[in-house]
Amino acid sequence: MKKILVVDDAATVRMYHKKILEDAGFEVEEAVNGLEALEKALLNDYDLYIVDINMPKLDGYSFVKKLRETENVRQSPVIMVTTEAEEKDMDKAFERGANFYFIKSVKPEEFSKYCKLLTGVVYE
Amino acid sequence: MPIKKKEEKVIEIKEERRKAQRDFEGLTNQLSSKNPTERRWAARDLAEYKEASSYLIEQLMKEKDITVREIIISSLLSIGDEIAISGLINCLKSDDAHLRNSAIEALKQIPEQVAPYIENLLHDKEPDVRIFTINILESLRHPKVVKWLIDVIENDENVNVCATALDLLVELGTEESIQAIKKVKERFKNEPYIQFASDIALRRIGEQ
Amino acid sequence: MNNRCTLKNEPEITITDDDFERFREFFYRKTGIMFDQSKRYFVDRRLIERIKATGNNSFKSYFIFLRLESSGKELQNLINALTINETYFFREEYQFQCMVNRKLPEIVLRKRRGDIIKIWSIPCSTGEEPYSVAIYLLEYWKDIDKWDIEIISSDIDTNALENAKKGIYSERSVQNLPKSIIQKYFRYLGNGYYQICEELRNSVEFTRVNIVDTNETKRYRGFDIVFCRNLLIYFDDLSRKIAVENLYDTMNPGGFICLGHSESMSRISPIFKIRKFPEAIVYQKPLEEDK
Repeated sequence: MKKILVVDDAATVRMYHKKILEDAGFEVEEAVNGLEALEKALLNDYDLYIVDINMPKLDGYSFVKKLRETENVRQSPVIMVTTEAEEKDMDKAFERGANFYFIKSVKPEEFSKYCKLLTGVVYE
Repeated sequence: MPIKKKEEKVIEIKEERRKAQRDFEGLTNQLSSKNPTERRWAARDLAEYKEASSYLIEQLMKEKDITVREIIISSLLSIGDEIAISGLINCLKSDDAHLRNSAIEALKQIPEQVAPYIENLLHDKEPDVRIFTINILESLRHPKVVKWLIDVIENDENVNVCATALDLLVELGTEESIQAIKKVKERFKNEPYIQFASDIALRRIGEQ
Repeated sequence: MNNRCTLKNEPEITITDDDFERFREFFYRKTGIMFDQSKRYFVDRRLIERIKATGNNSFKSYFIFLRLESSGKELQNLINALTINETYFFREEYQFQCMVNRKLPEIVLRKRRGDIIKIWSIPCSTGEEPYSVAIYLLEYWKDIDKWDIEIISSDIDTNALENAKKGIYSERSVQNLPKSIIQKYFRYLGNGYYQICEELRNSVEFTRVNIVDTNETKRYRGFDIVFCRNLLIYFDDLSRKIAVENLYDTMNPGGFICLGHSESMSRISPIFKIRKFPEAIVYQKPLEEDK
């Protein structure tokens, strides 16, 4: 089973993403901010990272940057989750190594479709 | 025995720290030193000076080093005067995500001082500012928090602002929020996240 | 007959599944500790104790109180009730293994002959930790004879410090130690008590420090390794942040800081670099070059 790390400081948002992704057949773990996400990434292999931008301690952009700079960590695709107003800043995310983005709130079908695509789940 | 106790009991403060003047003027100069360690020490020592807020805020806006930023924020919180607080609130509008989020975190620590600003911020024309304000409410220990959240979900037109408020109500919701949650659920019938969060909130309050 | 016995029906306080979830999310956010279902009984019992102790009669009212109490005192009480804090020799031994196998070899690469290695145990409580560090170094660090080491042990509690200096411990405290080590470094006093040998007692320095007081921590510097285990979890958010920033300043670039096994910098501060070793995740003060 492919494993996804959902990074967001809002518990309900994590629950929401988790439900969508588990229903789509993924194993899902959570982190409340970029720092915790980095620690978990060092300890586990994830096939995909779903990353909120606004989080305490280490925001989404900084997390992606550090992730890409860290050795011994699986360099899996990163999907940023952003607000409408922040959409214009997405090249900042891509510069740091993100691969894709979604605008909140994600719609379940589209979201799981792209997660499957990015984790190489071709046909189910 | 390789484990040795230091002979002198008194631990001296190293000379280089004495070199620069550690008075207010010296410290504010140090705050813009090229050396991040010096900037950090200056930011830390300035916590003792009430007049330092505006200098600290000014440096915070340009500071790129994460460790210096963190200390500046700690010092601003220690000082906690109007300038410090309104300076931190202005950071909510910054383009710099780390700065914004550090400001949110900082403001969560000073509920009484922030409270007077909350209502205005919840009516800011920028939805993101309203969202960040709600983020501040997360750890805010203030009796009006639930009422503010109910106001938001009853009146804010932006779906993501409501979503953020709902997320908090999932944790904090009480019986008085039930009607408002049902209404927002109805208002955003086609938004799956709003449906999801409302249902959880209602269930936790014991309404389902 | 006026002997009416009114049975005071104290309503049973129960924690529903939803209550537990709500509480668990909150606690995880604050501390990083996630209670799974297997811990239900443990958590429920302690929650109910706290609910009653604070004069509440339901989880709901307690939770609002907990969240909104401005001093944050109840949260601290709750954390105390839910975490087990017992000190003993070689507690969380993997941290000491990490010290001799990974951290020290890296640290000495940056040192010259004659430099000392400084280690700080803070809080040292009644001394089990600093003495554990000393023993571990003497027994298990292969380069122990090449370097001089200074161990400083600090605590805010002067009674604890006095006890640490005396170095007298119970069976329970030394139970994790191999017999050979007990024989080598302790003297049996009778009645189940052991005293750490005089040589070790005299080679560790004990000081009183309040880690949140920047003026106090300012006087410390040059540390290569800091053990700050199972203390920060009991602080409120702001105090934790300040404490960690204070510790940062006392450390050499490249120095390492270890927290307790259920603690994480993720809820405290981003200023340290996260390093993963086989034994543990540790935090490192950045070397000047690689900020």
